[in-house]
Formats: sequence, structure tokens, C-alpha cells
Amino acid sequence: MPYQLEDQDADLREQMYFPEVIRGVGILMRQFLRNFFFGREKNPDLLARDRSLSQNATVAYPEERVAYPPGYRGLHRLVPREDGKPRCVACYMCATVCPAQCIYIEAGEYPDDPIEKYPVKFVIDELRCVVCGFCVEACPKDAIRMDTGEHAPPSYDRAAQVWDETRLLRGPPVSYQYDPWLRRGSPSIPKEKLAEMRARAKPFPANAGDEYAQTPGFSVRALAAEAKARGELLGRF
Amino acid sequence: MRRFLGMVLFSVAVPLSMVLLSRVVYFIDGWAEHGALYLGLPTGYGAAVANVLLLMAGVVQTTAAALTVGERKWSAMIQNRIGPNRIRILGLSAGGIFFLLADALKMITKENIEPSARSRVLYELAPMAAFAPSFVLFAVVPVGPPVDLHVGAAVHRIALQVADIDAGLLFVFGAASLAVYGTALAGWSSNSKLAILGGVRASSQMISYEVSLGLALVGAMMASQSLRLEQMVEAQGRLLFGFLPALGFFLQPIGMLIFFVSAFAETKRAPFDLPEGESEIVGYFVEYPGMKFGMMFLAEFIEVVVLAAITSAVFFGGWHPVFFEAYLKQTLSPVWFASVCAGAFLGKVLLLCWLQLVIRWTLPRFRFDQIQKLCWKMLLPAALGNVFLTGALILIDPSLELLAVVGLLEIVAVIAITGAVSRRVPAGGRTSAAREAVAAAPH
Repeated sequence: MPYQLEDQDADLREQMYFPEVIRGVGILMRQFLRNFFFGREKNPDLLARDRSLSQNATVAYPEERVAYPPGYRGLHRLVPREDGKPRCVACYMCATVCPAQCIYIEAGEYPDDPIEKYPVKFVIDELRCVVCGFCVEACPKDAIRMDTGEHAPPSYDRAAQVWDETRLLRGPPVSYQYDPWLRRGSPSIPKEKLAEMRARAKPFPANAGDEYAQTPGFSVRALAAEAKARGELLGRF
Repeated sequence: MRRFLGMVLFSVAVPLSMVLLSRVVYFIDGWAEHGALYLGLPTGYGAAVANVLLLMAGVVQTTAAALTVGERKWSAMIQNRIGPNRIRILGLSAGGIFFLLADALKMITKENIEPSARSRVLYELAPMAAFAPSFVLFAVVPVGPPVDLHVGAAVHRIALQVADIDAGLLFVFGAASLAVYGTALAGWSSNSKLAILGGVRASSQMISYEVSLGLALVGAMMASQSLRLEQMVEAQGRLLFGFLPALGFFLQPIGMLIFFVSAFAETKRAPFDLPEGESEIVGYFVEYPGMKFGMMFLAEFIEVVVLAAITSAVFFGGWHPVFFEAYLKQTLSPVWFASVCAGAFLGKVLLLCWLQLVIRWTLPRFRFDQIQKLCWKMLLPAALGNVFLTGALILIDPSLELLAVVGLLEIVAVIAITGAVSRRVPAGGRTSAAREAVAAAPH
């Protein structure tokens, strides 16, 4: 919060000009020596940096990245089930709500299971996407999320920005107790796998709190910490 | 911690390398003199040529070029940034020093676009006219003391100074005023309204500040009773009251301040950079592409180095390693003592260069009327007063001790006024104590 300085005439000392200049030079020298002798702290969490020695505020971007806040809307992903198939039931809610009309879905059915639908094709054009997050809100099955904490990576051709289900389906799997394929069982899921998925399923959140805004084990901060531990964030400067 | 140790090591290594460099220069000077005498040239010829090549073309040029990168890196440290580090060789950014190569490559390979209606000869001449005078100034600066060098069987008296001429400081004034031609010609010959306005601004500023520049040094001339820079440096080696070195800084603090400010204006760098004002207003070298611009740019940094050299020679004891001189003289052989002296001089020059860059990043640019007001209404009267005061004090006490007492009083007064910060509470704002309390409170 900037504080207001009243516009007032310079006093005699300030009119002499040089004392103030000498003071200013002194301040800059101190700042210089500080940053000269002491290295920059590389913690990407800027507010957590120790600023008592060096006050350098830089995050050297491509090598170091600031962790995004939990609510950050990153690249989409299709949430997988425990058996590796998408949670998506191809209901077209996201494609319908999408204001940019960037989602294309072709539905299909599991041949031995007359009830379950699944997306044969699920394509998102990341160039058309306006990152509004409506698809995530609209999804009744928590099957599409924007919690990857990544940007759409740059590419040399437009085709590379069109993400299909093979690229979108990633990240940790999620199971809820009310999931139909868990309650009824499904011929496409082996028996013992089904038991394991039921054991791991959680209740569906009544309202999305911080806990559900981010998949456990898929936290951006945790990924940043891992990268730091691997030494990828430590460049040479 | 690793950086801290490295930087401490670096700060120790720089002065040491300066000493070694000086020793090497002495060595080469000795052999050059020997060879020149062998070829039948007059005494002092060989050493002078070697000095031109090593000191002027070598040390000054290299320092100035390195300062162009240093300015970027040091300003980054002042402003809590990293600064240039993207060019890496073998994964090392080496303090951004490789940007020097990139800059040189860029300047040299740029397309040469010239205004069609230029006056051709003057246009080509101007960068050289800006470049040469600042270079030439360094010729009279004594880098190291004279010393008897044994080369083979012969003994040569070598000093790290290109020319010891009687005119000394007058030569400095004369050569410094020649720099005006570079800027004025550059502005005029480009046949551009913007360039000529910049040239006129530059000329008026430089001519104004030459007056106070000259007057500021009169006091120092009176104190050392000489115009020769090597004698001025020699005179600063004495001790007053048995302990205080007779540095120009102690004898002439006000004169030093005025000289430094005036010379700063001569270098045309911020806060006096309104002749060029690269970022907003357009300066006298708008029409110069590539390496011609590069010469103007480099001339600025050479002026910085030369200004630092002259200031340290006249006001900071030149090559005297001030407080350690007696001890060093006893312990070291004459040649190594001279090398340490020259190293001390180069170290002082580097420190003053650094000071200039810090000042350049402290202050915003002056308005034109403020520049002229500062010169004619503040610096000039102060310089005149300083001349009268110094003259009177030397007349009363020729041993300079009274002058030193008054000088110390002046320094104390400046420190007192600088330290006496009035703690005014800004209306609607908070005192610094209240702000700290807010900052410390949990968010």
C-alpha cells in the first residue's frame, strides 16, 4: 500500500541538494554490496524468501518457476479411473457449456456393458480454449479437470495444440463411492480390480473446498519441491 | 555462503591482479626502453611507446569496455536483479562478461545507414573527435612511480606515465575542451534537427561546466604548487601533523566535490545525460549507426575511466598506497614497491569508476535549466570561494596544516549536514516506525 506524501517545499537542507545526493548514493551502495556479497535465494515462493541478506527478487523463469495457487486453471486433463480408462461418460455437458466451442466428443459404448458410455474421441483445441473453467464446473462425473498447473506448451504448428484423449488422459486416478461402475460393477473391470477400487473410493464432496480443488498427490507445490530436490531448479547464475 | 566466499576471494584477487599487472607493465617497459636505446632512440622513447600501448590502449580501453557490461551487471545488483547472464560459455555466465563479445559483434555487423544530406567529412570525423580527446587525457596521468629497473646490465629509470609535460593540468583542460568538437560536429553534420538540438545541448553544457572544472582544480594546484600531475601526486605523499597524509581530499574537499560534479557533467552521463538521453529525448548521435555509435558510446566510458584516474591522482593521492606506504617501502624491493603503488592507483580508479556508476543509477536526469543553474549559481560561486579561501589559508600557513584543519572541518560539516535527516511525518501517511509495525504484524 503506497502511502501519500504531501507535496511540500524542500527545506534548507534539501535545497543544498548535495547532502541528499550523498545519502542516496549511500543507500544504493549498501544495496549493491548486499547483493554483491550474498547470493540470491532461489526459493520460488517469493514471500518465503529470506530477505535479510540479499534482496534479489528475481525468479529466473525457464529454470525456476513460481508455484501457482491451488485454484490456478492450467491445461485440461481427462481424469482416469483406477483401471486407466477415463471417468468421462461422454454426456456432452462440457462440450455444450463451452463458450469457445473447443471441445469435440464422439461417444461410444463398452461392448459388453450396455449402460456405460465412454468417449471414443475427446478433443480439445487449446488454441480456441478461453480458459474459463466452465467445463470443469459442468462435469457431473469430475472427469475433466484443469489442475495440472501447466500452460499449454508452445508448438510450431497448430495441429500440436489440438489435444486428443490419448494426451489428455493423465494424472492420478480418482474414484468416488457413488460411481456407477463401482456400485453396480462393470464387466469391463476385473473382479479383484473392482474390489480394490471400491476400497479406495471416497465420498463425493458436497461442496468443493481446497481439499478437492487439488488432487492429492498432484499438488503443484509438491511437484515444484520434487523438481527442486532433483536439482532441476538450481541453475548457475 | 559459497557466493560470499567467492566474492571475498574476488575482492582480494582484483587488487592482487592489479599489482601483478603493474609488475608486468614495468617489466615490458624496461625491455622496451632497453630495445629503443639499443636502436639509438632518445631516452624515454621506448618506455613511452610501451606505456601508450599497454596503459592507454590496454588498461584504459579494456576497463572502459568492461564497464559497459559492468554498468548492466552493477545496476542489476543495485536494483535487486540478476542482470545479464544468458550468454554462457561452458555453462558459465562469468558475470555477463561475454556480452562484450556479443556487443562488439552487433556493432560491427550492423548495417551502415547514413543520412544522405550529411556533410560527409565532418560526419566521419565526429566519432573520432569525440573518441580521441578523452583517450589523450590519460597520457599525463602518472599510474606508477619512477623506479630504477635493471635490464640486463643496464639500469633504466621507468615511470608508468606516457608524458610528463610541464603543462600537466592545463593539457587536461585543453584536451577535455576538444571533446566538445565531437558532439557539436556530430549534431551539425548529421543534418537532422533532433541531432543538432542534442549537439547544442551538449556544447552548452560542456562549455558551462568547463569553467567550474578549471576553477575547482586551482585550489589543488595552489596546494601542491605545481601543474605537473606527477608532482601533485608526489606532494600528497607527505604527512601533516606527522600522521595525516596530505591528500587533496583532506586539503580540498569542496574542490573535490565541485571537480567531480563538473567532470561528471563533462562525461555526459546521467544525471547530466540530457545531450543524449538515449531513452526519451533524442541526442546528438541519432544518425550514427553501428560502430560509429559504438565509438561515441565507448568514449563515454573512457571518459569515466579517465575522470576516475585524474580524480584519484589529484585528490586521492595517486599511486600512494596511503596508510601502508612506510611499511611497504621498508619490506618490499623497489620494483615491487612501485608495482604495489601502481596497483593501488588502479584500484582507486576502479573504486571511483564504481562510485560514478552508482551515482549514475541514483539520480534522475536534470532539466536543462536546472543543469545551468547548478553550474552557474552553485558550483561556480563555490569554486571561486574555494579558490579565495585556499589562497588565504596557504598565505597564512604555507605548511598547509591550517588548510588541512579547515578541510577536515568542511568534511565534518558535510557529514553532519548529510546525517541530519529531518524526520517529517508525511501527511496522511505513516512514520517509518508505524510502517515497520504494520509490516511486522501477521497478515
